[in-house]
Amino acid sequence: MASILNTAAEAGCFKTLLAAVAAAGLSEALEGQGPFTVFAPVDDAFAALPAGTVQTLVDNPPQLARILKYHVLAGTYLKAQLVSQSDWPSLEGAPIPIRRSEPFEVKNATVVNADIVCDNGVVHVIDRVILPG
Amino acid sequence: MLIVLFIIPLLIGLLQLLTGNDSKRLRSITAVAPSIQLCLGIWFLKNPPDPISIEWLPQLGLKLELGVDGLSLPLVILTAILTLLAICASQLDYIRPRLYYPLLLSVNLGLITAFLAQNALFFVLAYELILIPTTLLVAIWGGSQRAGAAIKFLIYGAVSGVILLGVVLCFGWLNRSGLNFSYASLSQAGLAFNQQRWLLIGVLFAFCLKLPIVPFHGWQPKTYSQAPTPVVMLMSGAVSKLGAYGLLRFGIEFLPDGWMFWSPLIAALGAFSAIYGALNAIAQKDIRLLIAYSSIGHMGMLMLALAAATTLSLQGVMAQMLAHGLIIALLFNLVGLIELKTGTRSIGELSGLMNPQRGLPFTSSLLLIGLMAAAGVPGLAGFVAELLIFEGSWEIFPWPTLTCLLASGFTAVYAVRFFNRVGFGRLDPARANWVSTTWGERLPALILSLLILIGGIWPTSLTGISNATTAHIAILNTSTNQLEQQS
Amino acid sequence: MIPPSTHKYADVIHRLEAGGSMLPDTPENLEQIIGIYKAYAVPMDFYWRDLLYIAERVFLNPLPAFKYFIPKEYMDLANSYSGDNSKLRIWRGGEKAHPELVAFMKHGETISMPKILHHLWHDRINMEFAEACMQAMFWHQDMGGRFNDYLESKEYLANADRAIKAYFKGNPLMLLLYKLFPEMFIEQVRQLSYYSNLGLFWEVMAPVFFEMSDLYNEGGIKSVPEAMDFLVNGIFAVAGRPIYHHVYIGNECIEIIPKSKGFTWLYEAALPYVEAVFYRTSPFRGTKSYNAQANQVPADQADFHYGILYADVYPVGSAGIPPTLLMQDMLHFLPAYLEATYQNHGRGDEDKLIQLGITFQRSMYNVTSAVIQALRCALLYPLNDPDPEHLLANRRFFEAQMDRFLRPEARLSDIQQQNYR
Repeated sequence: MASILNTAAEAGCFKTLLAAVAAAGLSEALEGQGPFTVFAPVDDAFAALPAGTVQTLVDNPPQLARILKYHVLAGTYLKAQLVSQSDWPSLEGAPIPIRRSEPFEVKNATVVNADIVCDNGVVHVIDRVILPG
Repeated sequence: MLIVLFIIPLLIGLLQLLTGNDSKRLRSITAVAPSIQLCLGIWFLKNPPDPISIEWLPQLGLKLELGVDGLSLPLVILTAILTLLAICASQLDYIRPRLYYPLLLSVNLGLITAFLAQNALFFVLAYELILIPTTLLVAIWGGSQRAGAAIKFLIYGAVSGVILLGVVLCFGWLNRSGLNFSYASLSQAGLAFNQQRWLLIGVLFAFCLKLPIVPFHGWQPKTYSQAPTPVVMLMSGAVSKLGAYGLLRFGIEFLPDGWMFWSPLIAALGAFSAIYGALNAIAQKDIRLLIAYSSIGHMGMLMLALAAATTLSLQGVMAQMLAHGLIIALLFNLVGLIELKTGTRSIGELSGLMNPQRGLPFTSSLLLIGLMAAAGVPGLAGFVAELLIFEGSWEIFPWPTLTCLLASGFTAVYAVRFFNRVGFGRLDPARANWVSTTWGERLPALILSLLILIGGIWPTSLTGISNATTAHIAILNTSTNQLEQQS
Repeated sequence: MIPPSTHKYADVIHRLEAGGSMLPDTPENLEQIIGIYKAYAVPMDFYWRDLLYIAERVFLNPLPAFKYFIPKEYMDLANSYSGDNSKLRIWRGGEKAHPELVAFMKHGETISMPKILHHLWHDRINMEFAEACMQAMFWHQDMGGRFNDYLESKEYLANADRAIKAYFKGNPLMLLLYKLFPEMFIEQVRQLSYYSNLGLFWEVMAPVFFEMSDLYNEGGIKSVPEAMDFLVNGIFAVAGRPIYHHVYIGNECIEIIPKSKGFTWLYEAALPYVEAVFYRTSPFRGTKSYNAQANQVPADQADFHYGILYADVYPVGSAGIPPTLLMQDMLHFLPAYLEATYQNHGRGDEDKLIQLGITFQRSMYNVTSAVIQALRCALLYPLNDPDPEHLLANRRFFEAQMDRFLRPEARLSDIQQQNYR
């Protein structure tokens, strides 16, 4: 198995995410032991944000890091475990609510591909960027 | 020259007949009459005119005797000012202007003649002359309940006129120098004490109905609230002063001993009126009625000063006649403006009129001045009058004076409450869709405010002209007078 | 797809669900709000510059008599969102102070005089309004975001301590006072952090409004929803902008709140601002007496409803009522088409202040709608989502927002009528 970042790179539809992680300086952290549960937005999810949003975030690493950290939980949680609780504390600090189990919805994003297990955690693919608040 | 004062309204009346139905032109032409009267009146201050005496009906003793003295000249000037301002305050959209303006001038003619008259029967003639035009003015151009108000006013006025006629006829019959009604003769008539006592009852009845004084005031609130604004300015400002003038002439000047006899009663009536008017004003929810009852209160204070009949208090009477004439005209004008613009006369529905953008800030500011003047705030004309009244009456009638002082305090109560509700507070946006006042609408109020201010800071303007006459007819001396005489 | 709402403001909710604004979509509404946005943006240009000047330079000056005397450096401070060198250019205009602002600061309503005379005659931009907004944010502290919590943290205390000591270096009296009353100085620094927060917030809003006005003049914005969408896009575009507080003492720059804390424009500035200023603010002191024991002022600070969305726009005109100050400012920069509209209604020139105040209220309802739509977009689902569960979640969100306008003071029903002016 590969690490989370390598898995994402291979999948090919996470280019924006990987660029963001690199810009935010979180690559090293995500390469680490973890384990992490990552909700990974696809490229289309970033593209769906209004123009300039990503650009502003990329220009400001600390702010970008905050948004990205909101997509990460400490620990490995598969879908079955996730749906057992109504929300989970993200690395950013704000909680991530689990709104539905079938279809599997995390906040206002739908998980299109769950339980992609990696070396240092598990990835769930989501179709929207989730934001705290 | 005196005859001009008398002729001018008649001439202008002719001109009015010749003008068509054009409101604007009629108004301008009508305004010429009081303007000339005003100029003449002011001119007469420095150049006293010769009196006129023309035989009219010698069998009846009716002579056209005209003359001015210290009592009547200020009132003539007041009448001219108020008529002029009433004409300015007349709306251009009044129906039947061809009838309206001549009627106004008739009232003016009646008033001027009454004040100029030096013959008691002639005076009664003029007194009666005023009645019908004022009734018509109320009945045709008044508010929603004008018919009832006009009838009430007519009945009270007619009774007053009849009683006065009776009294004056008695004067003539009892006059030892034959059937002579002229003032000169009557003031030296030397009637017996008993005759004076009973004649004075009639005089009191007649003129208390006019002032009005409680309990003869039944017509006043209704009439003053239903009459159109210019008419009520003229009525409350000038016509009611006829009552005070009559009491001065027919009561104090011609029947001094009778006056002394009845003066405690008169003082009591005055004090009661003052309190009655003030307390009723506090309770009112209609802005017109509030001012009407306020007027009763002020007439009560005037009555008190008349009762005391000292030199100082009679100066107060003159001052109060002039000051109150101006103040009440101002208040009715402003209250009429408020009603015209906002469409309501209920205090409950009005608030926040001082709002500089959407309210009536100019009108409300002048209303504040008017209310302060009515309350007797120093610096304005009302204070001068009240000070003279209280100082002049205190030694003779301490308790009634104290009562009137209390009433004056109540005046401040209703003035403040009224203005607090109406001027301050929150303007209701749903109602604030009226047009602001134009300078033409503000002019009468502005001029009256200026005059009130001048009267307040230059008291001699109120009493100077009449000083000598009031000193002459005063019955009593007070300690202040004696101080004066010593120094 | 879902049954209609049964809320009191059901038609407004349906309009929001269709992508519209709380303000009805009419050409007159559009003309009014764009005009007033432009009139608001010019003084706002001054506000944000002066707020940053006070937060960064004036700092703890005990007698800041000249804090409104903004130096050229700050008038020329480049707005990050306009000008040729901007990384994310929102407005196509220049990055320095708006030319109309410069002209007004020279002449005011009277004549060209030395600045001190303009200041004493109060013929200037009413910066007191900006400070009142800042104080509202400062007072209603917990309106969301991490900003307030940080202000209580040890790290902030350490930074503030460094800044205070650096500022008063060589001033033994103030240093002694600091030793005796440390909390007082720290609280002042906290307030200055809010100055910075608000300044950075408005730095973004000014070019947004200028660009909207320019687009409208060119025919680019044709409806109220389009104007709202522009705002929504603007909110997202700048959402990640850092919020910080840097102080310049001598040659040194001390970062009291560094950018690295990750505070964002959206969470730490915009949303708290809307909550604190649009909805809450505070009762205006000195115009009306409130009997606290009779609960005429809500006991719960969160229940305050004195913001522009609830305001009775009949300014008493008294000194110091913040909205009156703002309206007086906006009066000077009205575009010609708006002046013409005001001349033709109400009392023309006499009640222009009230008319433009009501227009401003409409425009702020539009801004609030943009914020609501942006929140919906960020935290909930698209308006054309096929899933009825999602649409119901959107509906619940909108209804909860509309619940805040159920109180009698809310002007939401007033702005639905055109004759509310």
